Amino acid sequence: MPAGGIRRILVLRAGWILLAIALVLPVFDSFLPREFQFAGLMRPIFILAILGLGLNVVTGYTGLLNLGLAAFMAIGAYSYGILTCDIYPYQLSFWTALPLTICIGATAGIVLGLPTIRLRGDYLAIVTLGLGEIMQDTLKNLDGITQGTQGINPLPAPRLFNYQFSPENWIPWYYLLLAILAVVVLFCRNLEHSRVGRSWIAIREDEIAATCMGINPVKVKLLAFSVGAELAAMSGGLWAAYLGSTGEPGNYDFQISIIALCMVIIGGMGNISGVLLGAVVMIGFNSILLVKVTTILAQKGLIDTQNVITVPSNWKYMVFGFALILTMRFKPEGLLPSRQIKAELHEMDEDRRALKKKAGTK
Amino acid sequence: MSLLHVDDVTMQFGGLTAVNKVDFRVERGQIFSVIGPNGAGKTTVFNAITGVYEPTEGIILIDGRPGMRPVTPRTILGIALVGVLTAAGFTIALNLESMWNAAISANYIYKQPFAWGKAIGDALGHLRSAPATLTLLPAIAGLLIGVAGATSVWRRSRRSPDVVARQGVARTFQNPRVFHQMTVLENVLVGMDTKLRTRFWHAACRLGFKHEHCSSVEKAMAMLRFVELEDEAGAAASCLSYGHQRRLEIARALASEPKLLLLDEPAAGMNPSESVDLMELIRKIRDRGIAVVLIEHHMNLVMGVSDRIAVLDYGNKIAEGTPDEIQACPKVRKAYLGTDLD
Repeated sequence: MPAGGIRRILVLRAGWILLAIALVLPVFDSFLPREFQFAGLMRPIFILAILGLGLNVVTGYTGLLNLGLAAFMAIGAYSYGILTCDIYPYQLSFWTALPLTICIGATAGIVLGLPTIRLRGDYLAIVTLGLGEIMQDTLKNLDGITQGTQGINPLPAPRLFNYQFSPENWIPWYYLLLAILAVVVLFCRNLEHSRVGRSWIAIREDEIAATCMGINPVKVKLLAFSVGAELAAMSGGLWAAYLGSTGEPGNYDFQISIIALCMVIIGGMGNISGVLLGAVVMIGFNSILLVKVTTILAQKGLIDTQNVITVPSNWKYMVFGFALILTMRFKPEGLLPSRQIKAELHEMDEDRRALKKKAGTK
Repeated sequence: MSLLHVDDVTMQFGGLTAVNKVDFRVERGQIFSVIGPNGAGKTTVFNAITGVYEPTEGIILIDGRPGMRPVTPRTILGIALVGVLTAAGFTIALNLESMWNAAISANYIYKQPFAWGKAIGDALGHLRSAPATLTLLPAIAGLLIGVAGATSVWRRSRRSPDVVARQGVARTFQNPRVFHQMTVLENVLVGMDTKLRTRFWHAACRLGFKHEHCSSVEKAMAMLRFVELEDEAGAAASCLSYGHQRRLEIARALASEPKLLLLDEPAAGMNPSESVDLMELIRKIRDRGIAVVLIEHHMNLVMGVSDRIAVLDYGNKIAEGTPDEIQACPKVRKAYLGTDLD
């Protein structure tokens, strides 16, 4: 029974547990020896988790395979760059530019979704894949506006009341991004348990049955597509703000879309805590574990950094591939159990309560 | 005016005529059965009524109205808006960089205040001075493409199951199509979707959300009680047995408060005692003032519960009448048994 109890708590309260861990992490981190400190490297996880949550709305809830999410991330990053950078006349602050970026992302989602959303399954995947590629080339070639391959920089750091964020001090960034991620998680969770989320899931489960219940499939899918685009644009804007530069258009390539997809699949489709865990596993492995292992090994003189094969960070795509294959083989529903198992756990609850009631009346 | 009016409906798939000039009427509060051998076109009739298929010929009226999206001023405005936006999009896409250069790059001096009025004027001036091939032509092309595209998409989605459902027609399927990964309760809540008023931002921020949520859950539980599934409310729908999934489908359909309920072989795979229960349930649904159209092979059930019966064979309606009339009809016997018994 205790083992089952712990598993129950882990499954049902995974979000809160992750939040608590994330809150105390910087404190815990400061006690570690310098070369093992990693909390500062957590920031990309938070940003890309927002991207993963966006994909979760489109692919996890609604079942539309979107392989061009990087395009919306690029739109977000470049909108944010153009709105804030002082080589353009707008020069807005972080707090006005970010909502505007989100609005631009949502509008882009609707405009690009309208003609494509009626496609089914693989066809939509191919169109969105093309969209991702077109966006990179467009940004590269509009160099009068986007500075081409240089990217837009420097972008100003955000300012909160009288506190100026700086690239050197990572702790304020950490809590800012964590807070934004928490808001996004809450937003997604509210949607999931409302009429909107139910109609998304119904469309994924059985489109004809859902349509015969009076749900307009085009509207519902378009809404999901646009929410996904909006979250992707938000993560793009945050990414640009965090780096202080949009980076070059080639940064928003197919790999970003695929990493987001891996996060959703490995973590658990349609499950918010699963996506968060997927982000921690994928990005944590990529930008924390491999980086740390490589530097430590190089310091100890165990590997030759010039040799491509011995450097662990060059193995990442192989490891990602294996992780994906193993997940598909042994846990196709993802690391964190999906709604179905949650429902079964709840059922256990109710059975137990009913038994207790019976015992009480006797 | 009868509730459902099926008038000379023909459905053709390529060269195959699945339904040929079928007509019948269903009155309010009636239980109407459609029977016939396998492949007679019964489910096709259902699909035509609910808008899954568009009939090749013929008219289907629900409560005197065709199950189609009406042409409203909003539709025309929407199509015009799509056209104008496409035109603007095409024009701007072609001139984006030169407009940007004329309006922003030429006027902005690093860290100096920016004259917005002049910039907008310059952008428009640039558009005016640009050759017509770069401005007028894409605008006209965009307008045409936008209007044509929007019109054809609207025309094609005009007859859609969700429009029919909103007119008060609910259905179940031959093979139960419950939403497997949702709980039983959530399945019923999806059925209630057309009656809910929560908008996107309300749902996302939980504003004015709780009241409707509570009342809808209460109603859904009442619906589950009606089909005797309340004990399973929290279970995943995929865990239900086949018979229970059928009951859940009925509850989900009833949740949309329909005027007309179409049941496609509700008793398939049920044992005799379960189908007696089902008969009782169908009567209870009728007593709520909902007309029921039933496709069924269990003759005991059909004859016991129906007010009127239509018989289809190879897409043609061969008989219609009360259960007694149908049982006496030689054509029906021939369709089912192949030979005259006389």
